Amino acid sequence: MLIGIDVGGTTTDAVLIDGTRIVKISYVPTNHGDLLKCLLNAFDLLMKGVDPKKVERVVLSTTLITNMIAEGKAQPVGLVLIPGPGTNPKDYQLGQEPIVLDGAIDFRGHEIQKLNEDQARMAGRRLSNLGLKKVAVIGKFGQRNHSQEMKAGEIISQIMPDAQIELGHRVTGQLNFPRRAATTLLTAATKDSYREFTEQVARALKERMISAPVYILKADGGTLPLEKSVEMPVETIFSGPAASIMGVLALTPVEQTSVIVDIGGTTTDLALILSGEPLLSSKGARVENLLTHIRAFAVKSVAIGGDSVVNVAQDCVDVGPRRDGAAFCMGGPGPTPTDAMRVLGMTDIGDLALAKKAMGSVASKLRVTLEKAAQMVVDAVVAKIVSEVEQMFLEWEQEPAYRVWEIVENEKLQAQSVVGVGGGAPPLVPLIAKKLGAKSIVPEYAPVANAIGAAVARPTLTLNLRVDTEQGSYSVAEEGLTGKVTGRNMNLEQAEALARKLLAERAERLGIGEQAKEAEVTYSEIFNMVRGWSTVGRLLDVRLEVPAGILEGWRS
Amino acid sequence: MAGIKAESKGRAGKTGLIFFPAFDWAISPTHPEREERLLYTRDQIFEEGLMDLPQIEELKPRLATLKDIARTHFCVPDVESQITEAHLVAAGSTMTLADALENGEIKNGFSLARPPGHHSMMVVHGNRGFCNVNNMAIMVEYFRTKYGHKKIAIVDTDVHHGDGTQDIFWHDPDVLYISFHQDGRTLYPGSGFTNEMGGPQALGRTLNIPLPPGTTDEGIHYVLDNFILPVLKDFKPELVLNSAGQDNHFTDPLANMRFSAQGYASLNEKLAPDICVLEGGYAIETALPYVNTGIIQAMAGLDYSHVKEPDFAPGRFTQSDEMNRSIEDTVDELLDIWKNRDLLMESAQSELGDFYRRRKRIFYDTDMINESQEESVRLCKDCHGYMTIASTAQRGYGILNSAYCVSIPRGACKSCKEDAHEEFEEHKDDRKFNYVCLQDKDRDSYQIYDVRTRNRKSY
Ligand SMILES: [Zn+2]
Ligand SMILES: [Zn+2]
Repeated sequence: MLIGIDVGGTTTDAVLIDGTRIVKISYVPTNHGDLLKCLLNAFDLLMKGVDPKKVERVVLSTTLITNMIAEGKAQPVGLVLIPGPGTNPKDYQLGQEPIVLDGAIDFRGHEIQKLNEDQARMAGRRLSNLGLKKVAVIGKFGQRNHSQEMKAGEIISQIMPDAQIELGHRVTGQLNFPRRAATTLLTAATKDSYREFTEQVARALKERMISAPVYILKADGGTLPLEKSVEMPVETIFSGPAASIMGVLALTPVEQTSVIVDIGGTTTDLALILSGEPLLSSKGARVENLLTHIRAFAVKSVAIGGDSVVNVAQDCVDVGPRRDGAAFCMGGPGPTPTDAMRVLGMTDIGDLALAKKAMGSVASKLRVTLEKAAQMVVDAVVAKIVSEVEQMFLEWEQEPAYRVWEIVENEKLQAQSVVGVGGGAPPLVPLIAKKLGAKSIVPEYAPVANAIGAAVARPTLTLNLRVDTEQGSYSVAEEGLTGKVTGRNMNLEQAEALARKLLAERAERLGIGEQAKEAEVTYSEIFNMVRGWSTVGRLLDVRLEVPAGILEGWRS
Repeated sequence: MAGIKAESKGRAGKTGLIFFPAFDWAISPTHPEREERLLYTRDQIFEEGLMDLPQIEELKPRLATLKDIARTHFCVPDVESQITEAHLVAAGSTMTLADALENGEIKNGFSLARPPGHHSMMVVHGNRGFCNVNNMAIMVEYFRTKYGHKKIAIVDTDVHHGDGTQDIFWHDPDVLYISFHQDGRTLYPGSGFTNEMGGPQALGRTLNIPLPPGTTDEGIHYVLDNFILPVLKDFKPELVLNSAGQDNHFTDPLANMRFSAQGYASLNEKLAPDICVLEGGYAIETALPYVNTGIIQAMAGLDYSHVKEPDFAPGRFTQSDEMNRSIEDTVDELLDIWKNRDLLMESAQSELGDFYRRRKRIFYDTDMINESQEESVRLCKDCHGYMTIASTAQRGYGILNSAYCVSIPRGACKSCKEDAHEEFEEHKDDRKFNYVCLQDKDRDSYQIYDVRTRNRKSY
């Protein structure tokens, strides 16, 4: 049996799954002060009369880290940059003043300016005087040559022996220095709290004698063993929304292109599944005001929901983006879409008489009947969501591309189904689907799609390898790993073989060794380096990926 | 530079950036115009995170249509055989930016795309100087056809003379083409002297500034401040476009100038072009990553003072007094031409009859083609006059192709239209030519007629 738990901001949802059957669902309020107690309660409700030995796997998703950052409760971090030539470090929007060290590495990994070690010592003393316990050190192109990051980290750690020091190249090796800096900052800021969370989970499981392997769901919809995840807390940012998307994937037909519409009171969240694969945000997630390298599903939040304000301007209605309170029929201050749906009999939430009163005011301003006014409000909501969905597909088509064939082929997709989750979805999703010419699906278990998604998600794995044969070296973006290669004529096949070997080792370290075999090459390119008129070496880039997916047992 | 443009648009908004490195296209594996050319530029601008900045919007290029190309070029035997898909993307990039600019989505734009185009002339038999079709000229014709712009200025800052762009707009008084470049006596394509000033109806609308090898930031900025910017202010174009070649850089392997990334960035800031189009630049590791970063930052109004090539130090390059004087002399000579352009035009026209004719020989270095042309333009009082070009291309000892090309300008008068059509019809039976082409810019319609097979192709 499988357990999926989504520790949300307000409630903790859990499901117990046996094969393809949902055995039990439980909801408990999330107790931020005592997470252990909250988890124990959830287990007790879920496992009544079930032998804990029968549990094969436990997966958690959580918004705790996201909330912690949003509430400004993450720990302060000293930011040290080695930016080299290029952008003025003040133009990087990192939310805090960095300490800048002289030194520079170029795109090939050549040292073009020596690290100023005196400045590194001064930085250490300054951070120490500020009483900081966490430091993030990030160098431009540090992933191509991490010697300066290492050296600066070493010097600072001699001055602040108790501080936790995070180096950029260890967090991610993707190109984009400011995003790498932001991701490293967040890693340093959340590691302790995240470790506490994993300890609470481990204790809860132990107390309820569940000895099955336990995983955390990452923002890219993949699972990772809990004990391995403490090194990369930021991967769990947005694991809550990822769980819902994985849940929809599990609850809808395979290989489809669908839009997930999660309609709440204030906002509607949209996500896409393209030919069976949830769409990832192209460069990485935005966390509050920081752009990061965190692989996460693309979720678009639109400020419209059941409680949005309805405004009347001349002969038309305008809905949102503000919310002034609950729907009028639920005791709120003014007319909302929920009131309109109540009048039209699309929902039975709230007081009908109040709903009629709310729509009555709209109707008289528009000089139309009550029903007509309510219909106009519903139409406006549907039109707004439909236009945002179309915009999302358009943005996907307009993603920049750097190869001729990608421009020429310019794939177009449209939604085959619209899947509704969230309280406001059931009455509206059929109307949205109709406008998009797609099938409407509101899964039976939509309210616990998040916990189901966590329960049945598989591990994901990525490895980006770059080989520079002129320099005789390779680097792996994911862990800052580097090594040597011999010979200038490595071809793509050989590079892919090296990538597979490194991926297998990485998977083993992460405790998901069996997954490595499934990896596919999703990107590979080779450049001959020509100097003068002769080839002096090659640059090869290979990306291997195991994308997000659902456990096999669930479908059959 | 406020005040250059006729209508100061004072546009707000983002800088549109199209980055299209064509990682799957090369002229040949070791050619300078190969896959690797923008690889390190990619690394640098991606690592800088420039595309994430609120001042910058990355756009995806669309494909140019064959008609977009036929509007500018007579491609022989047809458009399809002179281009690859990569050319359609590079040309399409410029038009994507043109649309975004006109729709108010961006305040300015940079097409950082390859392959380049400024050596492609009006008639195209093959590849010249790494170029097949002229991305800049295709954008200009698009701006005029779709958006009705009339006066446009092109400033070509590539180290090579943009002989293709010069050729295309030679007779056009509404397009001001200014190019500074390394002296043609010392560098490909060997043209671009001060006496190349445009056709008799457009004298002074082509302005060439040959510069001595070794010219530094100082010399180029002297030309910019004392000649280019004042001339632009006089001309009052609706749009300023920049053919942004980067081979004036002190590390470029194909030329001998001493321009720096800072020099390029501040040039861009002063010129404030509406759209920049990448041309050449082959110091792919030592220059392009830094020059492009600087140009993007300057366009977006960001601080570019931290951009510096690893081996550059301020004051590293200086110009001799002699070099300074020679640059000042060239500028003085050109200022005279610009001031007296109307008189020059009058006297040139007074010596001519109804038609102006010239012969040209054009060499295609990449494809080893020799072309000879006989060009004729009617000096019409009522319009810009129709033009014909009789073109024969030779490769080795054999004739490759020959074409008789007829061009009708926008706003052509009735008599020019009728005569041009007559020329086109007459030559359909002329066995001296393989193809007869009609470029009717007034109706935006283009035809190529195969004399032997009697097949007609329209765009
Ligand atoms: Zn050039
Ligand atoms: Zn005429």
